[in-house]
Amino acid sequence: MDFYVSLLTLFGFRILLGLSAYVVILTGQISLAQAGFYALGAYSAGAATALWGWPIVPAILLGAVVGGFFGFLVGFPALRVRGLFLVIATLAFTEIVRMVFLNLKYTIRVGDRTIGPAAGEGFRGITYYFEHGWSGLHILGFTWLFVAAVLLGLWLMDRSRAGAVLRAVGEDELAASSVGINLTAAKVSAMTLGGFVAGMAGALYAHYASYVSQEDFGVLLATFAIAYALVGGTGSVLGPVAGVLFFSLLIDGLRFLGDWRNLLFGVLIVAMMNLRPHGLVDAGLVRRLVGLRRRASAGA
Amino acid sequence: MSDLALDVVQQALNGFLFGSSYALIGIGFTMIFGVMEKLNLAFGITALGGAYAALLVFQLTRAPFPLVVLASVAAAGLIGLVVEITCFRWMPGDYPLAALMATVGMLFFVEEVIVHATNGVPRAFPAPLGQAMFDLGPWLLRGDLAFMFLVCLAVMVALWLLVFRTRLGLATRAVSQQPVAAQLCGIGLRRVNAAVFVLTGMVGGVAGALIGSAVGNLSPLLALPLTVKGLVTAVLGGLGSIPGAIVGGLLLGVVEYEALYFFGIGYRDMVTYLLLFAFLVFRPGGLFGSAARR
Repeated sequence: MDFYVSLLTLFGFRILLGLSAYVVILTGQISLAQAGFYALGAYSAGAATALWGWPIVPAILLGAVVGGFFGFLVGFPALRVRGLFLVIATLAFTEIVRMVFLNLKYTIRVGDRTIGPAAGEGFRGITYYFEHGWSGLHILGFTWLFVAAVLLGLWLMDRSRAGAVLRAVGEDELAASSVGINLTAAKVSAMTLGGFVAGMAGALYAHYASYVSQEDFGVLLATFAIAYALVGGTGSVLGPVAGVLFFSLLIDGLRFLGDWRNLLFGVLIVAMMNLRPHGLVDAGLVRRLVGLRRRASAGA
Repeated sequence: MSDLALDVVQQALNGFLFGSSYALIGIGFTMIFGVMEKLNLAFGITALGGAYAALLVFQLTRAPFPLVVLASVAAAGLIGLVVEITCFRWMPGDYPLAALMATVGMLFFVEEVIVHATNGVPRAFPAPLGQAMFDLGPWLLRGDLAFMFLVCLAVMVALWLLVFRTRLGLATRAVSQQPVAAQLCGIGLRRVNAAVFVLTGMVGGVAGALIGSAVGNLSPLLALPLTVKGLVTAVLGGLGSIPGAIVGGLLLGVVEYEALYFFGIGYRDMVTYLLLFAFLVFRPGGLFGSAARR
């Protein structure tokens, strides 16, 4: 039981991370900065509860806002560089964030414990959940409140004009700008929103894990963020959810294969991209699902 | 001359020589991008996979070093072809992200094969020159780095001849400039793409074997740094430009060694990334790239 509770909690962080990459991918950009936003969210929210004694909800929101702020900052240079250059620039951002935390030392003593970011040793003592006696189920519910809110928000955005604008920019920048869409505003807001969601995911993760270290926030995490969105598909917010399920079922479901599991992992990604290049939940599938629902409601 | 100046020049020399291997990795990224306008994130692991295959050959046969390098070249060329077939050949041309993700899968796969075969433990790689040093006035020239530099130079010359003096090179340049027009002239796009992947794979194989022998051992952990440094090199030089990748690689080598000397290992990569940022902001096309390329 505990195993499944923590697994579902982990799904929550992964889905948020995948959604943060999804928002940016909608505008046709690939960002490896999501791991950097996640780290910034984790450290700032951790510092808020553990060092400054904030309550939990403002702390999570602080993590999200910090992530969003840095997303905004990264968004501007991102206008100058496009496509593959952006991949590399954002990768550099994630690595720089990681190295800042590798060298950041800001600890206080609480009783006989030293807490706070201690450079290479990581950030210990984010024990808000433990101190307030939260059970695994509490944590699960709390995490999924945020996941549900973000899913709902993005779903609504996708159906609104804002979603259409982002997708238009992603499909064809020239065409989008010629119908009067402000490319700068679209790209920077997508990056800000992505940073916000990734920061929130990091903030929630830090409190769940109670210990974070810069090692966890490297290029690999950033790669997984875009992998959730690309393998899952960008046709709908359900895409990243499908991507997380795909990877998590592979990681946890193939455990009986032992060492061979990791070999199969890469092969399955390659096979998936060949079979469904636009991801599991692509535009075609979304169209068919919407069509089915329309037909069902028309029949009734 | 003061000790500081001596050390700075010594570091620059080492960095310049080691940078030649970054140049080869960068050439791989840049050539594939030049021809296909797609990023092959599996290129770093292609080079490393070649080096591991060479290590296997060495352990089985105790072959002399040139044969070990040849084995690395052959194996990496083969891996390059596999990457082309599995990650690029059947992908939709208008959606580069699918190929990008597939190469990430390939990166995971080859890395895991290596971990599986070696239990993840670093393995010693033959270093024929050992710790040989040559005196160069007040400075020391590391034998293995000098050897690496000479081989890289030879590879670059061979590559230049191939790209500018053969029919295949002509076809490659044609495809990278105007894929549709090249096809109309009767150039087989698939054949050129496959050839570029095999060729860049072979270049990567040389780089992998040389890095292995200069560092003294191989570890699957090298995959990520190789990929990142290759990408940085390609961007510094300007994506798609081979001379750019060469200069970018040498520059990156020098900057890394100087940063290591002045700031220590903890800040070395940070200096690299700041350099990269500076380039992206002030000269986004890289050293040799045209502005239209970005």
